Amino acid sequence: MPELPELDPVVHGKLRLAVLSLLTGVEEADFTWLREKTGSTDGNLGAQMLKLEEAGYVAMEKRFAGRKPQTVYRMTVEGREALAGYVRALRELLGGAL
Amino acid sequence: MNDFVSENGGTSREELVQRVALMEAMIAEGRRTTARYGWMFVMWGLLYIAAMGWTVYLPMRNFAWPVCIVVGLLLGVVVRMRRKRAGAMESQRSRNIGAVWNGMGIAVSLYVVAAVWGGHGSEPVYVAAIMFMVGMAHGISALILRWGAQGAAAAAWWACGVACCFATTVREIEELYVVAAFFGMEVFGMYVMLLERRRPTGAVQQHA
Repeated sequence: MPELPELDPVVHGKLRLAVLSLLTGVEEADFTWLREKTGSTDGNLGAQMLKLEEAGYVAMEKRFAGRKPQTVYRMTVEGREALAGYVRALRELLGGAL
Repeated sequence: MNDFVSENGGTSREELVQRVALMEAMIAEGRRTTARYGWMFVMWGLLYIAAMGWTVYLPMRNFAWPVCIVVGLLLGVVVRMRRKRAGAMESQRSRNIGAVWNGMGIAVSLYVVAAVWGGHGSEPVYVAAIMFMVGMAHGISALILRWGAQGAAAAAWWACGVACCFATTVREIEELYVVAAFFGMEVFGMYVMLLERRRPTGAVQQHA
């Protein structure tokens, strides 16, 4: 029997997966936008973003938009590869459902 | 299925299908934010028609096009800055399409000012060239997006451009321009706005 693929636990988290999916369509996204789109709270999103950062899947940059501080996230190459790998694993696991 | 469940720490098939749906919703949501430009087509269509109306019914007709183009550019910059401040994001594709339209805008602005100054502002080919340029921007965008509706908008501009080359009276040129602006900008812009309103939004209610 062929071995079933493991799902990357960092990508598999619901909010983290949502964030990575959002980041695939944009060059960069600020924290407020991600919070609004995912409907999450500051604390939860901050904690999940930190996990993604620690895994090297997103890069964070703090800057100013006018006088307003802004935290901007960008998906890294590793992040794209991880998401692609996750989709591949899902495809294998779900077979015809995908 | 049992192997599948055990090797993935109790993850069920249903949960995985939900993950797929979540990814699709979020990717669509990201695209939705970067693609709210329907209002711009409507605005430019109105400005084109206003400029044409000014040249026909109001004095100082040479100012009509430059003034309307400057007003459109300023409105566009103001709205884009406000959207950016509100947190709207930009994708590589929307940047590419934006570049096509910006390039077209600069070309048409320079052309209008130079042609009017040079005394060619009432010739059929002058208006036809504007129609071909606007049609070209629509056409490139339609090819990038593989979008038939925008291809139809391009076709409307090009068809009116061709017809304009054969126009014999100023009235015919004006009518062709209004037809092109109406179908190629107003109708298309309203259709885009309708699509933007219809797209669903999704939020992740369960965390991590």
